[in-house]
Amino acid sequence: MQGTPFERRALHDISLDINDGTFLALIGHTGSGKSTLIQHLNGLLKPSSGSIKMGSTVLEAGGKKQDLKPLRKKAGIVFQYPEHQLFEETVEKDIMFGPRNFGVSEEKAKKTAAKVIEMVGLPQTVLEKSPFDLSGGQMRRVAIAGVLAMNPEVLILDEPTAGLDPSGRVEIMELFYNLHKSKSLTTILVTHSMEDASRYADEIAVMHKGELYLHGKPADIFNQREALQQAGLDVPETVQFLMRWNERSGQNLSLSNFTIEELAKQVSQSLKKRGS
Amino acid sequence: MLQNVIIGQYYPASSPLHRMDSRSKLIAAFFYLFIVFLANNWVTYGLLIAFTAVTITLSKVPMRFLYKGLKPILILVVFTLFLHVFLTKEGDLLYKAGFLEIYEGGIIQGVFIAMRLLLLVLMTSLLTLTTTPIDITDGLEHLLGPLKKWKLPVHEFALMMSISLRFIPTLLQETEKIMKAQMARGADFTSGPIKERARAFVPLLVPLFVSSFKRAEELALAMEARGYRGGEGRTRLRALEWHKRDSFALILLLLLTVLLFVLRS
Repeated sequence: MQGTPFERRALHDISLDINDGTFLALIGHTGSGKSTLIQHLNGLLKPSSGSIKMGSTVLEAGGKKQDLKPLRKKAGIVFQYPEHQLFEETVEKDIMFGPRNFGVSEEKAKKTAAKVIEMVGLPQTVLEKSPFDLSGGQMRRVAIAGVLAMNPEVLILDEPTAGLDPSGRVEIMELFYNLHKSKSLTTILVTHSMEDASRYADEIAVMHKGELYLHGKPADIFNQREALQQAGLDVPETVQFLMRWNERSGQNLSLSNFTIEELAKQVSQSLKKRGS
Repeated sequence: MLQNVIIGQYYPASSPLHRMDSRSKLIAAFFYLFIVFLANNWVTYGLLIAFTAVTITLSKVPMRFLYKGLKPILILVVFTLFLHVFLTKEGDLLYKAGFLEIYEGGIIQGVFIAMRLLLLVLMTSLLTLTTTPIDITDGLEHLLGPLKKWKLPVHEFALMMSISLRFIPTLLQETEKIMKAQMARGADFTSGPIKERARAFVPLLVPLFVSSFKRAEELALAMEARGYRGGEGRTRLRALEWHKRDSFALILLLLLTVLLFVLRS
């Protein structure tokens, strides 16, 4: 609210281009403005200055009202704890909610529901159940299916794995990554986890105090460890390990291979080399 | 979206009104509810408006903030105004167009009633704007204390009040969150015919109910886990303190009442 003690400028001076087909990880400390930024992308929040361009739609500060439905169909958001948004009597109806709002026929929406429920790894029998009879993890999947059913071109994920157990985390992230690849989506992942960012993202954008702090390829970002620490973050554990390794052994292993599998391979190779 | 609703919200500031004891504020606000009805002519209404204006100034809550928060209620006020203007047939006929007849008495009546409503809402909002929920509850519990003799659950009542006040902002936040989530799925809360718009609120209300019940259960559990068992033998960290300014405020209010009695017609 402007002009009151509650006023706070959430975002300022952000200029960020995201190309089609990119997997972008948006990372930052709590309150750094990540969630606020993504809500601008489909017009849930409107900028008080500046503009947002998504495909052919342009949202401008002070611009006149326009029909936001095409934009919202194009950019699907999976919110934090999406299971809170379930409301229908059956899972099927809830998944159909999005498509029906965007004018898809009942029949087609039903078919879509059957398709997406499998995508998120749940059996068809779930469709007839009440979403409130499911477990927390299943509810999350149903809610995600509800967003996927809209068939968005841009998928925006706001900490989709928050509150899940470790194996659930991996499953959900793999699900999104496979979708990203197979449907050539543009994916924007809001996360706290440098590990997730390093594993899946093509690009990383770091937010700090409402500003875009760093933006680039993961390897470039991880080379700026001090800057990351200033923003209250750190490089992922694998990169920390690589840095230490290089320091101690005097070798120069590339920091750009930082998934755990690649790391293991690199280290074993360099050990073999030493042995021979 | 919903951030403008200020019912039950606290406005942090340091003002004479903020520093008053919650008991005196509660008594004053309650008393005010009655004396507003004493006013029945221009002088008495003027007096009440002046008193309210001074109180608002003292509270350091900016007018703009109050105005924004009261906007939804203003609709009701304006509605009452027009209802009286068009339906009261007293005094001189001022204007006639077809079946529309506006009388002098109607306008006066309308303005008075609208004023009354506005003053009531303003004063009660000021109470919650300048007093933290905890203080309100403490004050209320104190004031209702004597009723314990008749086995009335005063402490529980006060606790219920403070919990509901405490959770109004949470509920609003939650509403906004779910609204956004459904809007992202193409829900439309703002246009279309009334019937459809009412149906559009189902996706909002069901999740809100579900989470409210869940939260109530969790809260009860958390309270029990920390050994809460009602007001019996419970001591307080922060004692209420009655200052001179509290007595002064109440005396001022009494003076206002006397004046209203003298000046009303």
